[in-house]
Amino acid sequence: MALNRRQILTGGLSLGAAAGLSSCAGLTGRSSSDTPSASSSGSGGALQAELTFVNWSGDTEKMAFDAVIKAFEAANPGITVKTETVPYASIQTNLDSRFQAANPPDLFRVSYIDIGQYTSQDVLLDVSGTFDQAKVDAFVPGLWQGVVYDGKPYGVPHQIDTTAILYRLDSFEAAGITNIPTGLDDAWTWEEFAEASRKLAGIVKGKQSPFIYDWQSAGAYRWLSWLFQAGGNALGEDLRTPAIDSDQGRRAVEFTQSFFTNEWVPRNSSVKSATYPDSVFIAGTVAMAFAGDFLLPGIETGVKGKFEYGAMPMPRDVNAASDLGGNAIVAAKDGKNTEAAARFLDFIVTEEQQRTFCEATGQLPTLNALTTTDLDFAVRPELMKTFVEQATTITPEQVRQVTVPQFAQVNTALQAELEKAFLGGASAADTTAALAAAIEKAAP
Amino acid sequence: MTAVSALPTTAPPVGGGNRRRRPRWDRSAIAFLAPALLLSIGFLIVPMVAAFVYSTARIAPLSGKITWLGLENYATMLSDPVFYRSLLNTALFMLITVPLSMAVGLALAVLMNSVLPGRKVVRTIIYLPLVISGVAVGLIGTFLFNETIGVFNGLATSLGLPNASWQSSGIPAFASLVLITLWIRVGFTMIIYLAGLQAVPQELYEAASVEGATTWQRFRFITFPLLGPSTFFLLIMNVIYSFQVFDTVFVLTNGGPGVATEVLGTYAYKTAFGPARDQGYGAAIGVVIFFLTLIFTIVQWRTNRNRDETA
Amino acid sequence: MAITAPRALAPTRVDADRRPAPPGRRGRSKVGLVVRIVLAVATAVVMAFPLWIMLTTAFSGQQTFDAEVSVIPQQFSLANFTRVLDAWPVGVWFGNSVVITLITTALTVAVSVLAGYAFAKLVFPAKNVLFLVMLATMMIPTQAILVPQFRIVNGLGLIGTFWAVIVPGAAATFGIFLARQFMLAIPNELMEAAKLDGAGSLRIFWSIVLPLCKPLLAVLTLLALMYQWNDFLWPLIALKDPALYTLPIGLQFLQGQYQTDYGALMAMTLISVAPLVVLFLAFQRFFVQGLATTGIR
Repeated sequence: MALNRRQILTGGLSLGAAAGLSSCAGLTGRSSSDTPSASSSGSGGALQAELTFVNWSGDTEKMAFDAVIKAFEAANPGITVKTETVPYASIQTNLDSRFQAANPPDLFRVSYIDIGQYTSQDVLLDVSGTFDQAKVDAFVPGLWQGVVYDGKPYGVPHQIDTTAILYRLDSFEAAGITNIPTGLDDAWTWEEFAEASRKLAGIVKGKQSPFIYDWQSAGAYRWLSWLFQAGGNALGEDLRTPAIDSDQGRRAVEFTQSFFTNEWVPRNSSVKSATYPDSVFIAGTVAMAFAGDFLLPGIETGVKGKFEYGAMPMPRDVNAASDLGGNAIVAAKDGKNTEAAARFLDFIVTEEQQRTFCEATGQLPTLNALTTTDLDFAVRPELMKTFVEQATTITPEQVRQVTVPQFAQVNTALQAELEKAFLGGASAADTTAALAAAIEKAAP
Repeated sequence: MTAVSALPTTAPPVGGGNRRRRPRWDRSAIAFLAPALLLSIGFLIVPMVAAFVYSTARIAPLSGKITWLGLENYATMLSDPVFYRSLLNTALFMLITVPLSMAVGLALAVLMNSVLPGRKVVRTIIYLPLVISGVAVGLIGTFLFNETIGVFNGLATSLGLPNASWQSSGIPAFASLVLITLWIRVGFTMIIYLAGLQAVPQELYEAASVEGATTWQRFRFITFPLLGPSTFFLLIMNVIYSFQVFDTVFVLTNGGPGVATEVLGTYAYKTAFGPARDQGYGAAIGVVIFFLTLIFTIVQWRTNRNRDETA
Repeated sequence: MAITAPRALAPTRVDADRRPAPPGRRGRSKVGLVVRIVLAVATAVVMAFPLWIMLTTAFSGQQTFDAEVSVIPQQFSLANFTRVLDAWPVGVWFGNSVVITLITTALTVAVSVLAGYAFAKLVFPAKNVLFLVMLATMMIPTQAILVPQFRIVNGLGLIGTFWAVIVPGAAATFGIFLARQFMLAIPNELMEAAKLDGAGSLRIFWSIVLPLCKPLLAVLTLLALMYQWNDFLWPLIALKDPALYTLPIGLQFLQGQYQTDYGALMAMTLISVAPLVVLFLAFQRFFVQGLATTGIR
């Protein structure tokens, strides 16, 4: 035996020691994010602070955030920003434990569907001091609404995302689909969409499916797009009573249920699965994918020119509608450097910074100036146009509904009940009734 | 988990006349026990007691504010369909994996105990999966069992066999969990049974052969009864494992589809640390897991003691 | 005065090549042998299959997989590894696992051996009761104490440091049980002789008992190593910062990032599994003995 046990042991230990040396930070422990940051000195000019920024991001987003932070630090010598990227699934408990330990991060990223929990518990910094009316007016009104609670703004709407349909040109050709929409005006009706799905179902082979929808996991609320298209609402005017148990609600449930009964979507792509549209589209097992704009960079890299694909708007019924995705950046009220934090918030939504960020990540801006011009998106700008257009279908009323404090529970209820409707054979009437009951229960 | 002999016996006095007065007890024991006691009290006993306490409260996620609820969490549990499903799934999981892994483990032990070229290699392959973490096992499982691009379905297609819907149907999803659990647990069972088999005195077998007993009779009347202690031990260990299973389920199916594979362990975690962030309710579920484990172990122990006495 | 280890301390050899029970008749054994070989080979193939897939996928360099999967490796490439290592601090996670595992193991072994000695050899009040309490704590499932342990460790300010994992990790009572089992077999005469010479408890423990415990220490170390390296649930909750992640947490994190990029996932799995596998293969005997001893009265 060439290697005896002793040699393995010593070899292993030295390897381990070498690797471990770099990890000793964890022993003395608190990573610098937990140490109270240096307090800011004086006003105006030379603010000294170290801000912690908790967020989640994919690869492109991470780079884009780093770029914004670099620019901010250059413009504000004395202020440094330390980013902590955590997985999306654990960000809430991460924030919980920090708030409970009375050591909240200075800044963090939060999605519009989650922001209600924080605004309603009065832990966020009111930024009306930094954002006067002129600045507020620079934003698309419906989108500024996303950070407003009880009349006051608590952070900045950094970007939005929405869903549109990506489709494979070769599949459409093979299926004989020729009425491809060119803009919102000729977006497919539900009937036209069903017809196209039927044609695609005729040409798919083996494990392929006509399309996949992006309602998995935390994205369950994207089902609401169908509800809004049918002319329904999740919540009533008072944002407490459920409005989902309606004819429109049942119609939306039935239509989406048919995706599964007709085998138009992969069976393992229901709301509780972990099979996401981008990986399936890349793998070539669907002809159409309802995907968020933020998936475009990854899809472009993954497809690598294997097939050609285009983008088209969401189907429409009574209305055209899509989901409000995207995130705000907020500051903690009890953070140690609220002044520096407010500066950061101000900085990231300046025109130039938002433009750079969105162009790099394929996400959509929230400033009026940017939504009306053509952004030079890094990846497939001609496809991004569809998403930009689609975003204009998001109404302030819809925004108000999805940003209520109890929306996280509504999302969970959607996940539970839709799973039963799609895979469990529950009836549309039962589903909407159960959803209404859950929404009622969740009301504060 | 052990037979009566586990109770400590006091050291016998030194033979012969010992005229020196011995201290009534060894004071140094305090030093020896202190670290273990402190750690156990601090991180096992106190938390367990605290779990009971927290299960009667609601803890607000952001502020940490505690509202006392009495037994309300348990009442909610009794009317919670997901809880019942988790309970059912956990029980099913135990009832299927435990006998299966013990039977297969025993069969393998018997096989490995016989004349066989290269049996050391085969034995190593069988118990190697033991050291692989539950997460890694679950991940490998996701690749093997992926419905669309996984290995098993790919193999099935190339052999002309139908594909199973490992992710979107409850029963195949459960089956995938069982299969992957068997893969990691069989080795442990085999080790224990091997040790037990090798402790069986050869003379018994020889005597039985002389009397003309068949292989099966030898197994049934000699081997199996003498493996009693091993079986008892394995039952306890495997049942405890199946009540507490988390890593593999979390990674492989995450309780899906729907709640088809939700077990108590994953439900407790999701309730306390998932979107709901209801730590009080999560603690209550944890308490349930504890009692189930405890009750089962006590029942097992009692039955074994009776069996030993009546034997 | 050399003290040789009494026979009683020799650990049970599980995989010793004992001659197995003789078959009935010579003639029958041929068929039986063939059957057994076939069974053994089949078993080996089935059991090794998942690991084989992991290996070939990790080294295949493939990123996307379609419905046709090949079991035989088509190509050899390190692309998957470079992809993962470039994008994520896997080296840091590896180092974290090493540090946490080594420290926790050292602590666990020390604590277990000390307490095991006390329970095996020392006399003190409430010994039986205390031992039963220790036994009972082995019954406590992690899920039950997740929440309170989190609040306690959070209150101690340890959340977000390695100590949040190390300190509770050393409370493993399984080791105490093993240590006691082992030490019970040490003959008391050895210790009594030393006592007559005037040695104190600590001295007896250190100079006489411990040297006889080498097999126990080996087994304890390996078992604790294995358990701690693979520990997932509690570290998942206790370590908030991705820079502090251990390999199992990093692995699960990547599952969310890479979704169905199985090439990357298998590469990462291989990295996290390899150290223990190597250790296991080198020290099989001790691992197996350790596990087997737990089942033997």
